[in-house]
Amino acid sequence: MAFLIRTIDFTAAGREIIRDRVVEQTALTIGRAAECDIHLPDLAVEQRHVRIDRQPDGTLAVEALGTLGFGLDGRVVTQGIIDPHTGGEIALGAARLAVAREGDDTIAITIRQIAADEGKGDALRGFALASALPSKRAMSWIFAGAILLALLMVPVASHLLRDPVKNDPETIVPGQVVMDAAWSAGALSLKHHELEDNCESCHVAAFESVQDETCISCHEGLGDHAKPTRLAGGMAPLSSGDALQWRIGEALGKEGPLGCVSCHSEHEGPVRQKPASEAFCSDCHDALDTRLTDTALANAHDFGKEHPQFRPAFYASFGAAKPVRASPDTKPIERSGLKFPHDVHMDARGGAARMALSLPDYGQPLECKDCHSLTADKISFKEVTMEDSCEGCHSLVSGRTASGAFSNLRHGDVKDLAEDLARINPAPRPALASGRTRPGQFARGGAYAANFGRPMRAYIGLSNALSPGGICTECHLPTTKQGRPDLMPVNLPDRFLTSGFFTHEAHRKEECTDCHAADTSKAATDLLIPDLKSCRDCHLGATAVKTKKIVPSDCAMCHAYHVPSGQWSPKGKAPHYSPAPAPDKTTIAALFGQAKP
Amino acid sequence: MATKVSGTSNTRFKQDERRRDSDHVSFLKHRRFRWLWIALVLSGISIAGFVLIDQEPRPNGGTWYGYTLGTIGLGLIIWLSLLGVRKRRINPGAWSLKAWTSAHVYLGLSLIVIGTLHTGFQIGWNVHTLAYVLMLLVIATGIYGVIVYATLPASLSANRKEMTRAQMLDALTAIDRQLESAAQPLGRADADWVIAALEQDTFHGGALGRLTGRYPRCATARALKGMAGSSGAVDRVIALLEKRRDQLTQIRGALRIRALLEIWLFIHIPLTIALIAALTAHVISVFYYW
Repeated sequence: MAFLIRTIDFTAAGREIIRDRVVEQTALTIGRAAECDIHLPDLAVEQRHVRIDRQPDGTLAVEALGTLGFGLDGRVVTQGIIDPHTGGEIALGAARLAVAREGDDTIAITIRQIAADEGKGDALRGFALASALPSKRAMSWIFAGAILLALLMVPVASHLLRDPVKNDPETIVPGQVVMDAAWSAGALSLKHHELEDNCESCHVAAFESVQDETCISCHEGLGDHAKPTRLAGGMAPLSSGDALQWRIGEALGKEGPLGCVSCHSEHEGPVRQKPASEAFCSDCHDALDTRLTDTALANAHDFGKEHPQFRPAFYASFGAAKPVRASPDTKPIERSGLKFPHDVHMDARGGAARMALSLPDYGQPLECKDCHSLTADKISFKEVTMEDSCEGCHSLVSGRTASGAFSNLRHGDVKDLAEDLARINPAPRPALASGRTRPGQFARGGAYAANFGRPMRAYIGLSNALSPGGICTECHLPTTKQGRPDLMPVNLPDRFLTSGFFTHEAHRKEECTDCHAADTSKAATDLLIPDLKSCRDCHLGATAVKTKKIVPSDCAMCHAYHVPSGQWSPKGKAPHYSPAPAPDKTTIAALFGQAKP
Repeated sequence: MATKVSGTSNTRFKQDERRRDSDHVSFLKHRRFRWLWIALVLSGISIAGFVLIDQEPRPNGGTWYGYTLGTIGLGLIIWLSLLGVRKRRINPGAWSLKAWTSAHVYLGLSLIVIGTLHTGFQIGWNVHTLAYVLMLLVIATGIYGVIVYATLPASLSANRKEMTRAQMLDALTAIDRQLESAAQPLGRADADWVIAALEQDTFHGGALGRLTGRYPRCATARALKGMAGSSGAVDRVIALLEKRRDQLTQIRGALRIRALLEIWLFIHIPLTIALIAALTAHVISVFYYW
């Protein structure tokens, strides 16, 4: 039962001095006072600071004798237990007393002075997460620098240093600006997809909005909806927010609400251009007359509720150069130059039907499609030709050829007719002498017979054919041209509804006569274009409820913005609009423009 | 006169009382959630405007409303990021840091609404969405920060068991000193285990170890596993190594809580700066390719 007290000191030269002494006691006192068993000359230590007692179970009870605690294994306490088997360390001032069992019954207390711990603050810093991670400032600089370099400086520099290329819709060239794909707010529409890597083809100059001029450089010859001044005048007033945005935008070089991009917004994903909504059209066309007081256009905002009557284009006078437009309500009279009673031809019990029944090419009463066939675009009908559609009954057979086939008078040109008539109707050649004829094959009717008679009767025949009651006037109107008998030129427009679009294909389940009152039309002067009311049987405005019969129809179903007679189509090749031929394309009208009845 | 003096001192007392009271109110509850209400109203107005205002051709950052939201959002982000400047300026004035922090949290949350509406729900692989995603990450780490600041400090003091960090390190040093002397009688192999345990950095393990609390390469744990022999000296060293391991566990517990408390700032701050860079690129690029 003893304490071995071992003091370790250092000489000035750093040599260790170890002094051992044994105290045969069961308890020890430690302090600054000289009478303590362990005397520590340190002002931070109390006179009598700590007492160590050996407990019956072999452990050591350590207890502070004053109010000041002591360090036990790094922790400041006022009392504690040390198991000599594992040992413990008491800290008093600068002294560290290592307590451990040595031998069977001896407790060694090794006293060592430690240097003041100057690096403690640094060690504490290790608790902060900052000691295990790169600094926030460094990370900030790296992230921000990388973003600014890759996503801003590189695109701007390569845009400024590029060699500008003129746009050409035929050849797609890749863009020169690097990394500007990161600036794209979304994929381009399908039609512009090839420009995806060529931002600068549209975004030409820095800080300049996409200009109309750039769009037009590819989309040449695109029609204007109306003159810009009229468009501006007809526009509904902007909301105050939009007005402010446009005022600022225009001050900074944007082209205003009538510029291409204000409607054709891009970067909305790989989609096709959407048709204009009804609201897009009615914004201006509803109450248009209040803004454009001199407009000839009637207001429209919903096909079922407010839409002007159709005004088909037709020729109101014989051989007119320009068509006129009139509402079906005014019972317009069409001067096509033809005689054609539809009712006679369509009457299933009439003469025309009986004739058709007897002909192998028909075999049944006449139908519309026997004469009218659709053009490839399924909008208009091909020109009705005499040879294909009429001649089956209205025969122009003039005789037989030498081989036995029928010969026909040629149709279409009065000059051809005159030639053909002259061939069949020469005046008889006077006889050589009475009672005598030419011999053999030279005789009349023989292979070598020639008739050099004056063509007198041919002219009479032609005159008969062209005069009222003649064969031509069965269908045509007679007239005179430069003092000679002639026929009124046939003058029909290629398209009647020129400001809208109508596809017969979509209506092929309907009967023709559901819309065109041909079966009751007694004269070719009837304009058989249906009116608004008949369309409204099925077509109502975009807000109408779709039923089996009712088709909600927005403006874009029949009208297009840039090409009035075209239709926006969601499928197929470019352009979105199928442009209709101009109404004055009819060449006959131009050729016979001056003909008079 | 006396009344007047007592009147003033009364007011002063009330003011001081109010200040003392407010000193103990969380920044979240500051002034009865004033900034929460302001943020809610701001978000509500933004949503109502988005729903009610007809944005042609479709809602996105390019309509007048989109520009308005974008400008508000940009202003908010710049102002929110200035909290770092504000908290370093300790000077008098009518700008309480608590009010500023409260506004930082709630207005920051309202940015989720404003920023999302500004996108018009158009998301892509571009600098614009980069800025949006960075903003969301910054807000998400901020939310995490508020939550851990509210919950973790309690467990931090529970882990300490009335020890300061310095004492934890002192305790380890004390154990190390005893280990050193206790290990003197050991053979080569066992002494090497002890050396390895003593030489290993207290804070070994890196950020991942701190966050997960897993230290698979802990030399003390290895030494405990590797120590062979059954002499009294070895037993004593093993007992000391166990003490060392327990002390390390406490230190590492403190490190883990500290790491969980601090990790969000290591994302929040650099991503805020990255966000400001991305916003710069966003705004410039939008008008560069107008």
